[in-house]
Amino acid sequence: MVRSRPNMLETSTSTSASSSSSSPERAAYDDDTDFFTAQRNDSESSIGVASLRDMTMSPSREREYRVSPISRLPPELLIGVFTKLSSSMDLRSCMLVSKTWSRNSVDLLWHRPLCNTWQNLESVIKSIREPGGYYPYHALVKRLNLSNLNDRVNNGTVKPFMHCNRIERLTLTGCVQLTDEGVCSLIYGSRSLLALDITGLNSTTDHTLRAVSENCGRLQGLNITDCSKVTDDSLVEVAEHCHFLKRLKLNNCSLVTDESIMAVAHHCPYMLEIDLHNCRQISNVSITALISHGRQLRELRVGHCHLLTDAAFLDLPKNLTFESLRILDLTACHHLHDEAVERIIETSPRLRNLVLAKCREITDRSVIAITKLGKNLHYIHLGHCAQITDTAVVQLVKMCNRIRYIDLACCHRLTDQSVKQLATLPKLRRIGLVKCQSITDRSILALAKATTVDPRPKPLTQSLLERVHLSYCINLTLQGIHALLNQCPKLTHLSLTGVQAFYLREDLISFCREAPPGTFSFTKVRDRMVADKKTEFTEHQRHVFCVFSGEGVNRLRNYLNESPETLYDTEGTMYDDRDGEDMDTDHQVAGLMHATGLNDDDDDDMDEVDGGDGSQYELEGER
Amino acid sequence: MSETQKIKLMSSDSAEITVDRDVAERSVLIKNMMEDIGEQAMVEAIPIPNVNEAVLNKVIEWCVHHKGDPPATNDDDADSRKKTTDIEEWDQKFMQVDQEMLFEIILAANYLDIKALLDVGCKTVANMIKGKSPEEIRKTFNIQNDFTPEEEDQIRRENEWAEDR
Repeated sequence: MVRSRPNMLETSTSTSASSSSSSPERAAYDDDTDFFTAQRNDSESSIGVASLRDMTMSPSREREYRVSPISRLPPELLIGVFTKLSSSMDLRSCMLVSKTWSRNSVDLLWHRPLCNTWQNLESVIKSIREPGGYYPYHALVKRLNLSNLNDRVNNGTVKPFMHCNRIERLTLTGCVQLTDEGVCSLIYGSRSLLALDITGLNSTTDHTLRAVSENCGRLQGLNITDCSKVTDDSLVEVAEHCHFLKRLKLNNCSLVTDESIMAVAHHCPYMLEIDLHNCRQISNVSITALISHGRQLRELRVGHCHLLTDAAFLDLPKNLTFESLRILDLTACHHLHDEAVERIIETSPRLRNLVLAKCREITDRSVIAITKLGKNLHYIHLGHCAQITDTAVVQLVKMCNRIRYIDLACCHRLTDQSVKQLATLPKLRRIGLVKCQSITDRSILALAKATTVDPRPKPLTQSLLERVHLSYCINLTLQGIHALLNQCPKLTHLSLTGVQAFYLREDLISFCREAPPGTFSFTKVRDRMVADKKTEFTEHQRHVFCVFSGEGVNRLRNYLNESPETLYDTEGTMYDDRDGEDMDTDHQVAGLMHATGLNDDDDDDMDEVDGGDGSQYELEGER
Repeated sequence: MSETQKIKLMSSDSAEITVDRDVAERSVLIKNMMEDIGEQAMVEAIPIPNVNEAVLNKVIEWCVHHKGDPPATNDDDADSRKKTTDIEEWDQKFMQVDQEMLFEIILAANYLDIKALLDVGCKTVANMIKGKSPEEIRKTFNIQNDFTPEEEDQIRRENEWAEDR
């Protein structure tokens, strides 16, 4: 007899090993595999009700099956059905159907209680506190996200959650009223915690992180962006006790020094992503250690770490390559030179994203080194690397033809020659040419893959371009932009601040989006709270702001297509003196140039705010 | 060009069904068994003791239609989870059966380890639940309410927050 033939005694209600094949719907955004297993245990043991799993079929059961065929599904298949329900309303209805349905849906519903409104939060808290609750709800919560209510949540609010000791993901982004007391009450006893996000909780101190190191040995993701009171004292302890750390974000933690980072490099071998943006005390030794110890390191962000010099990379061990490293962000590491870039490319041949914005010392030599990345390179930011010339860019495009994103803002030596070459990139989606003031309509027509200014679409050569940044490319004309709009159906962002053809064209600017406010704020990006940069916009900057996005792009395109006369008859509309201001040509140009000097970085900062260069810092825990 | 290999399956009610090997191997259970028993499977019928003839035929019908499907990748998986109501048209029609057959198919898919079919089955049932009140769900599936009114009221109260969205 063959060993694996199915046992004849098994009934069709028996549990098969494959029953967990469908993962929980509501957990789909992040993949934790631990959930489903826990689920099954809960449905059988912790609630302690016998399951429909008899091996032989009693007559009464047979009758039940006939009357209600769904009762044949064993708990794990019933749960499999419930995981396909994405709305908590539906799950709640299931909870009220019968006792069997109830105990098989309650875990799914409480896995991540919905705290999107204050009323919901109060209701959740009430059930958690209730000593005589129908279920032990506090033990079912695996994820808690209070960031939607971050302006109201305080220490008192979170207290009731102190007994939820099975939380795996805790997201408190921007709950600025929380202090050590509140956060610690959540952390004490949370041995299952995998990911903690306390971005923006700037009154928390070492006390909180010490609690993390003492309680959360399984922690994999930690985001303490803007927790500027945290010091090495507690971070070293976290590194020593949380060996499984994979993702760490310490943006703007200004007290953190090499001591912390060296501890991370030595104690956390599984590190995948580390973001030290603006940790200004970090120096070369940290970076060298992180790269050489973190053999799995995939993403390293050290923008604005001003102390870094070439030695950070030149000191990497000889003859080693770091095949895992995909993303390296060295924004504004002013002291880097071509030697460092050459060494980086040599040791990290599989880099996919490389950000060298504002590394002003680098020259064509660096770009030529970067060409060695070949097809691996998808994303390159060379904004403000003003020494770069057409020769290097042409070579880069030839060698790295899978580039999807390129930013060359303020590379003022570049001419139409570069852009014509860039236009040949088959996968190009985003291009940043802010303040490349030499470029003309010839560049734009090349990008539009059009041969003349004829604005009619040519469907056979449709472009993939989605975001195009052309602010302060002062020579561009409306005809060029019009052709670009018509040839790029996927365009969702077009920035044209300071482009003369748009200046004071109230008819065109009406499709432009609002200039952003100058205050610090949190915005929601892909369901996550993101801290915007502090960008102070003066009245003048707000006045010249000209960015079209989303529907605005379509409306601008339609307008230009429908009113060709406004397109070519510029004289009549360009000078609008309704306000009685002095608007002669000289003044206008002077105004534009003034703006150019004034907000040197603002337009590409704007692009950052809306995700243009990807330098936004997503707040996340373990993915 | 080689002939498609045929194998025989034996249902719980002792019916012998001949089927292309690659069709039958949509079932991970059968595939593993074939690997274990090898050539012998070409001669003897493989017993499928948990599935009767009618259900087995139905399952085979599904496997034949989906013979050429590419193996599920993780990407597909994440995608299918986002849009739960999405069931392709052929599958929707395929699942238009009485409830007894519907749940038999789900049980068989689970037993035979045919993930994609199990998935379609669970989605079909989920779609029957969506948007319904507890009482409507009970009616749909003929389920007895075994809660006391007090219990029902308590659960309703304790899960009030789930009303939105």
